Amino acid sequence: MKNYSLNIGWLYPELMSTYGDKGNIITLVKRCEWRGIKTEIKKINEISSDKDLLSCDLLVMGGAQDTEQEIVAEDLKKKKKTISGMIENKIPGLYICGGFQYMGKFYKTADGNKLPQLDILDMHTENPGGKRLIGNIIAQSWLFDNKKIIGFENHGGRTILGKNIKPLGIVIKGFGSNNLAKEEGAIYKNSIGTYFHGPILPKNPFVADFLIKTALELKYKQKIDLEELDDSLEEKARIQVAKKLSVTI
Amino acid sequence: MNFLLIILGKTISYISKILNLGHGSTWPGHIALKLNNNFINQFLSTNSLKVIFVVGTNGKTTTSKLITTVLNKENKKTLRNVSGANLLNGVVSSIILNSNLQGKLDKDYAVFEIDENALSQISEYIEPDYLIILNLFRDQLDRYGEINTIAKRWTETISNFKKTILILNADDPQVAYIGINSKLKSYYFGLNEETNRDTANQSVDSIYCPKCNKRLNFEKVYFSHLGIWSCGNCKLMRPKLSISKFRFLPLAGTYAIYDTLACVLLCQKLGLTEKGIISGLKTFKPAFGRQEDLKYENTNVKIFLSKNPISFNESLDTVKKLGGKTLILALNDRIPDGLDVSWIWDIDFETLINKDMTIFVTGDRKFDMSLRLKYADKFNQVIDNFSKDLDKIIENLDKNETLYILPNYSAMLDIRKSLTGKKIL
Repeated sequence: MKNYSLNIGWLYPELMSTYGDKGNIITLVKRCEWRGIKTEIKKINEISSDKDLLSCDLLVMGGAQDTEQEIVAEDLKKKKKTISGMIENKIPGLYICGGFQYMGKFYKTADGNKLPQLDILDMHTENPGGKRLIGNIIAQSWLFDNKKIIGFENHGGRTILGKNIKPLGIVIKGFGSNNLAKEEGAIYKNSIGTYFHGPILPKNPFVADFLIKTALELKYKQKIDLEELDDSLEEKARIQVAKKLSVTI
Repeated sequence: MNFLLIILGKTISYISKILNLGHGSTWPGHIALKLNNNFINQFLSTNSLKVIFVVGTNGKTTTSKLITTVLNKENKKTLRNVSGANLLNGVVSSIILNSNLQGKLDKDYAVFEIDENALSQISEYIEPDYLIILNLFRDQLDRYGEINTIAKRWTETISNFKKTILILNADDPQVAYIGINSKLKSYYFGLNEETNRDTANQSVDSIYCPKCNKRLNFEKVYFSHLGIWSCGNCKLMRPKLSISKFRFLPLAGTYAIYDTLACVLLCQKLGLTEKGIISGLKTFKPAFGRQEDLKYENTNVKIFLSKNPISFNESLDTVKKLGGKTLILALNDRIPDGLDVSWIWDIDFETLINKDMTIFVTGDRKFDMSLRLKYADKFNQVIDNFSKDLDKIIENLDKNETLYILPNYSAMLDIRKSLTGKKIL
């Protein structure tokens, strides 16, 4: 796969990297590198242009603390049109926690304020106040042949999906993005939104490979079969958590 | 009433120690407060001791111990809460266990390390004479929440203080801003040395101005977001330092310099001489697990408690400078550690581990740690059974080689137990 290359757009790396989500970038880069696919990380922030953004074949956005999230929200308004266009054009993306919430219509705070979001995806988030949803989580996803996704969630918001968007998976252990419906995350075209930290990609290499494969197929307009990698250590790390939660994988 | 509480407290602690129940350092306080909510107030008002609080994400235990070591060498009587007992119950318990039956605390200074989340609650009972704030890093988001929230709560708490003198880390923008914002007398410690780290890494916590939210300029970075900073927008800048170096440093690593400077600045304010402080620091022995030296089967073992990305990076950097060749990394995910291990992806293994180092991993989440290292292209071996495999690791060490162990909190307790055969606390 020597002649392939990918530009990975990392949205607001300084602001939206609250808890180990940098691991998602590391995982994408390494799994490309091990297959001979060249990668370049494009850091997208307040000083990036639309051209920088459009040069990306794949987008990744993490979560942030409240103050940082306000700074990003301000800047995202300027990039909304471009990001929305890329998502509609099937550019694959991974949007975690705060990054996921931005994609919806609005965010309703605990005291009832409705903060408008980017309105790219048919969904919204509500924060009922009180208890945050924290803990290890396992969900099962149709997108990955019902393989189990394993990670850690820590969020106050509950994200409710509209009719035009599907959940990423069904929660087996834990709360999920909408704990009442036992649903986790969302999938729209090739964009994945989720509350999974952990970070999500290292212990769920099939999610990483989905993003890489889709990005390559879109860029090179042909079917791509990724080389298999030895994921036995990934499997051991998955079993270690699954055992803790008494789930067989 | 308080007389009875003291007897009760001491008895409970004694019994729990004998029966090895493990909570001897927190139960007495819990029960005393249940029975008399004014206990601390009544108690401290009858004693003329000076109270010092130490808060911050990293370095609380070491700094507290540095302070009591220096004060003890000066023949001052001190009390310090044991590590891990840094919530309200623990602080009250340490008062009870150190007092005589007449309710007298025959001490000159009380040095309390305080959990990030407990400062507000404890401050309702005690206003300290001195408050040291070391730093504020991300740590266990599942337990502590976000650092902006903590900084806000601290600022509120401190705004109710009337006489406290603040000793603050000027290099940490959030911490310095607490002092800049406060009417209390504030003194600052920080560094002015040359450094080769000139820009902040991307995964840092406070590189935005605490006042106006614009990106800060860093003239120098000592590690993470600690450095010489200023805001181009609102002109906020690092406050003037009262101290930036000291002639004698008892511990290795940049990190520990800050702890030492905080201790020295406080001791200067307490009127101690430089000579006195140095002779005190020379008698310092690290707190358990914090660069602690142990002997196991004639091998030197050094333990570096490494519980979040910042302390892990600093431990690795220090081990590298000390020429460490064989390292054991231990990762648990129990309640005192935080259940979320995501933070290991923020450790800079890529740059901080040399090719010639031999790395072993152990702990409840050893495969997560091993996976992290795999993605940093660092070869590593997973230990199945620590106590059994330790002997093999020791056999393979060079003559006189030191074994370095970097565990997080509960892993440190486990490993220390295997090495010393003793129960902790």
